[in-house]
Amino acid sequence: MMNLRILNRLRGSVVNVLRASRFSSSVEGTGAKEINTEPNSRPIIDPDVNPLMKTRELKLLPKFSEPRQAWIETLNCIDDKIIGLTTLHPEVFGVGPRIDMIHLNVKWQRNIRYVSFAHAKTRHEMPGTRRKPRPQKGLGMSRHGDLRSPLFTKTGGVAHGPRSPTPHFFVLSIWERIIGLTSTLSIKHAQDDLHIVDSLDIPTENKGYIQDLVEARKWGPSVLMVDVPDLMPRNITVATDEIKHINLMPVYGLNVYSMLKHDTLILTVDAVKRIEEKILYQLNRIDKEKVCGKFEIDQ
Amino acid sequence: MGLKPKMGDLTVQMLRALPRIGLYNLKPILGMPKLSKRGRGQHGGDKHGCGNKGSGQRQNIMRPGYETGNQPFYLLFGNEPYYYRHHLRRQYPPLSLLQLQTLIDTDRIDVDRPIDLAAICATGVYRFFPNIKHFGINLTDEGIDNFKAKVNIEVQWTSEPVIAAIERNGGTITTAYYDPHSLFILKDPLKFFERGEAIPRRMIPPQDAIMFYTDAKNRGYLADPEKISWERFVLAQKYGYTLPKLEEDPDYEMLTERKDPRQIFYGLEPGWVINHHEKVILKPKDNELREYYQQ
Repeated sequence: MMNLRILNRLRGSVVNVLRASRFSSSVEGTGAKEINTEPNSRPIIDPDVNPLMKTRELKLLPKFSEPRQAWIETLNCIDDKIIGLTTLHPEVFGVGPRIDMIHLNVKWQRNIRYVSFAHAKTRHEMPGTRRKPRPQKGLGMSRHGDLRSPLFTKTGGVAHGPRSPTPHFFVLSIWERIIGLTSTLSIKHAQDDLHIVDSLDIPTENKGYIQDLVEARKWGPSVLMVDVPDLMPRNITVATDEIKHINLMPVYGLNVYSMLKHDTLILTVDAVKRIEEKILYQLNRIDKEKVCGKFEIDQ
Repeated sequence: MGLKPKMGDLTVQMLRALPRIGLYNLKPILGMPKLSKRGRGQHGGDKHGCGNKGSGQRQNIMRPGYETGNQPFYLLFGNEPYYYRHHLRRQYPPLSLLQLQTLIDTDRIDVDRPIDLAAICATGVYRFFPNIKHFGINLTDEGIDNFKAKVNIEVQWTSEPVIAAIERNGGTITTAYYDPHSLFILKDPLKFFERGEAIPRRMIPPQDAIMFYTDAKNRGYLADPEKISWERFVLAQKYGYTLPKLEEDPDYEMLTERKDPRQIFYGLEPGWVINHHEKVILKPKDNELREYYQQ
């Protein structure tokens, strides 16, 4: 466990150095033609494959921020190979992150199903007699009327103790959930922990292949791979079946907690489209009143 | 001078220098409300902030207004009920001409059709709650100088300058009353159609509103049409504009379309059942029913 942590830190520092070197090009260069081809940043685009350089048509673009850009990679080979460039919607992958909203989302996901069964008996629930333990006066001792009072630690009950069951259920409004999702996706993208691949197809069922791939690309020990259908390709399913820190997830299961739990997030191109479509629908819907009605506290 | 960095870029710049954000370094921001816990220690415990002895500790506080035997302040003067029955009065949430023009310019309202409460509610911008005694739109004169649209609009309350502004552009305006049941239906017609009920009759206005809606000066829906056309002319004289002739307008039919005083929707009569799922309209055939809905 300890070794893993140290390893993770070391990897993190390597990634940080890489980030620093790549930062200048990715922020300033906005056009599709200005591709950074420095040797230490990314390998050169594979000449065998036609690069998918087309910019996607993004809907509902805001006025004052530009689309983000991301490489399209492939899982077909172990080495880091780029096969194209894509644009990401700034409202989904480039928002100013709200850390408090992310924290709220994580708290919500942790607590929504949590019920505390910690229980302490009150003085009335303790077994034993209700007789006065000794006379009020004449013995030179303290006055007591009941052995079950919380003053008696062995026979007495507990005042204001935990009571079971205590549910920690609460409802987070749809807007807070959307802010949590966009913030987390933006953070993942900004910290180079978001990678976009053409598909989840790999050439073999061997679990060593995916381990080597993650190792070679410095994707951190834990990886979350997201695709649109919940029926994933056979090879990737078999390969990652026994590796507990490399997980697959359909788009409909994507959540803040899982994204933060894994170091790296891998999205397929289709998944990116689907996520954008779903989140943009929520961000631009006009029946806010009707949707919010459910979450009002004083109904 | 370089380009000014954009808002998102500064955050990105900072995030790239920071360690990876994960479950292990998340914290709530400062100033988040905390649940108060019953303290046990030095300052949170002991009497728990309730002091020693007396009404404070025992929480047997005097009732509000009681002044330990003095004549209470609230009984010194007589009752002046300024807000008597305020919660029962009809409210008309305002919609300004500027807002109406904006709704038209942003394609939220179709000017080629008559505009009524249902059309304005469907924009999703106008906040309207019949359950708290909202009785419809009060069209106000804000942005009157920039109002350029030619519309046939039906509102529930308005003022003279607004009527003049609309009629100067060649449009028409009506003030019409809807009873609360009709207002709920107009706010969300789809929800009503899904219930599978027959469209009810619109009720006539209550006693204190009947003068307003029968007055031609207010363009009331119960006023005499001839008197209305006279008042249109009078208003044009008063405000000094030439009244565009409705009869020569290519949209004459649209501009003069009016609902029946018993009608809630344009084109749909009371008694009809709208099957929205199968796109079918069911009309009553029974004579007794017909008579009832035509009363």
